[in-house]
Amino acid sequence: MKTTPEILMVDDNPADIDLTSEVLAQSEQHFHVNAVNDGAEAISFLRHQGKYTHAPVPDLVVLDLNLPRKDGCEVLQHIKADRALAKVPVVIFTTSQASSDIARSYRLGANCYLRKPGNLPEFVAAVQSMAEFWLGYASLPQKERR
Amino acid sequence: MDSAELVTPASAPRSVSRQLSEEPDEGTRKLRALVVEDEPADVERALRALRAAGLGAVCDVAQTAEEFTRLVRQNAYDVILADYKVPNWYGMETVEILRREGLDVPVIMVSGALGELTAVECIKQGAADYVPKHHLARLPESVRRAMREKKLRNDHRQSLKELARSNRDLEQFAYVASHDLQEPLRMVATYTQLLAERYQGKLDADADKYIHYAVDGALRMQKLVQDLLAFSRVGRQGLTLENADINVVLDRALKNLEAAIQGSGAVVDHAQLPLVIADGSLLVQVFQNLIGNALKFRGSEPPLIRVNADLKGKEWVFSVADNGIGIAAEHAESVFAIFRRLHTRAEYPGNGIGLSICKKIIEQHGGRIWVESELGHGSIFQFTLPIKPTPKQ
Repeated sequence: MKTTPEILMVDDNPADIDLTSEVLAQSEQHFHVNAVNDGAEAISFLRHQGKYTHAPVPDLVVLDLNLPRKDGCEVLQHIKADRALAKVPVVIFTTSQASSDIARSYRLGANCYLRKPGNLPEFVAAVQSMAEFWLGYASLPQKERR
Repeated sequence: MDSAELVTPASAPRSVSRQLSEEPDEGTRKLRALVVEDEPADVERALRALRAAGLGAVCDVAQTAEEFTRLVRQNAYDVILADYKVPNWYGMETVEILRREGLDVPVIMVSGALGELTAVECIKQGAADYVPKHHLARLPESVRRAMREKKLRNDHRQSLKELARSNRDLEQFAYVASHDLQEPLRMVATYTQLLAERYQGKLDADADKYIHYAVDGALRMQKLVQDLLAFSRVGRQGLTLENADINVVLDRALKNLEAAIQGSGAVVDHAQLPLVIADGSLLVQVFQNLIGNALKFRGSEPPLIRVNADLKGKEWVFSVADNGIGIAAEHAESVFAIFRRLHTRAEYPGNGIGLSICKKIIEQHGGRIWVESELGHGSIFQFTLPIKPTPKQ
């Protein structure tokens, strides 16, 4: 039996987490969205530290750039420097359109850079196609056993 | 002797004579003058004339260009009183030195009879006045007037500086505001849209209408904020000047407008266009906005658009002519203002940002933009680009 894909969404804006979860809940495939609000929490989650001892290993990380405590690039750097975590695809999902942010994200090993669209139809389309591609069409590496 | 305090009481406070930007308060402080003169008796006579009119003066004396330059660098003078000719030097050269040093100190030629032509020549070159030595009674009024004029110049410069600063602040504000407004606006837009999607027809007709207004307002505001951001971004990084082939620039603009051109059946033709030193990608925006407008504000006939360039003096004059609906003369200037629209959104969509961006880009290149048009008879938008650009920041 296929297991439900685990998504880790790192975003300090609860409205974006809600909207993304809503969109994913509407899709045919089932996803489990785990949300954390800052970079430090994200790292604890990924390392199964503190209250995240029993957290799942995500199949996909959806990462905002502008985050409190540790920003998105630091989280990205951390993920890509960790042998076990490095193979988890990371989608940067942010409002920034700055070419410097885009270049830096890819340089640090981001697997995709997606801009948060400003209106609902486009937002829905972006989130749906992201989930469809990364958790549907793309072949992902086998997860480490915990 | 290169500096003489001829009439200064020993106690005259030096610091006071440094407040020079304003006309001296005759009761409390003395005028500070630099005199270019080789005859001590003449210096004394000039000072006596000033004193007699209530203008107490402290003065230094210079007889060579070197002395003069050193003194004006060290001290702030209210006025220069210069003889036309001292043994090894010409008093008129003080004007040139002051200009070179970037100093604004009025120079009054105090000299023996100069002759009309020489006197006029002195004033043309920048002396504030000429007072013949045998008419020293005129000196005080001449000094007062020169200082009044200097104060006006100062005030004017100050106003310009403040205006430039407030313009910069305003642009910075527009940039920051439009940038930071985007995020909360995105929330309003997406969530009112979600409300509409989820609850359309489930509340009542009023609710549907209200939600529709909210969505519409949020989306329109989003577009305005994006446009304002685009406007304030123009030239924030400065211009990237290059050899821009305007034929290529125009091709790129036309390529971006391909769908609109085909859709309207427009014909765009152009003369052989020149190579100019400019920021090519910004000029693509200019042509795209101008031609885009010609397509949008078309008349009943398919649009005919002609792009031309003429070399006139030290600048290129470009023109984009169309056969569209035209613009009434009274709007010829205001169409370049930001968010200025002459039609309702139902008639023609858009926020009125395009021409204001064109104007900003052209002015940053040191050029001008204007329109010649008549309502119902097409428009000719023209702009200039200097052959040698001196970009404005």
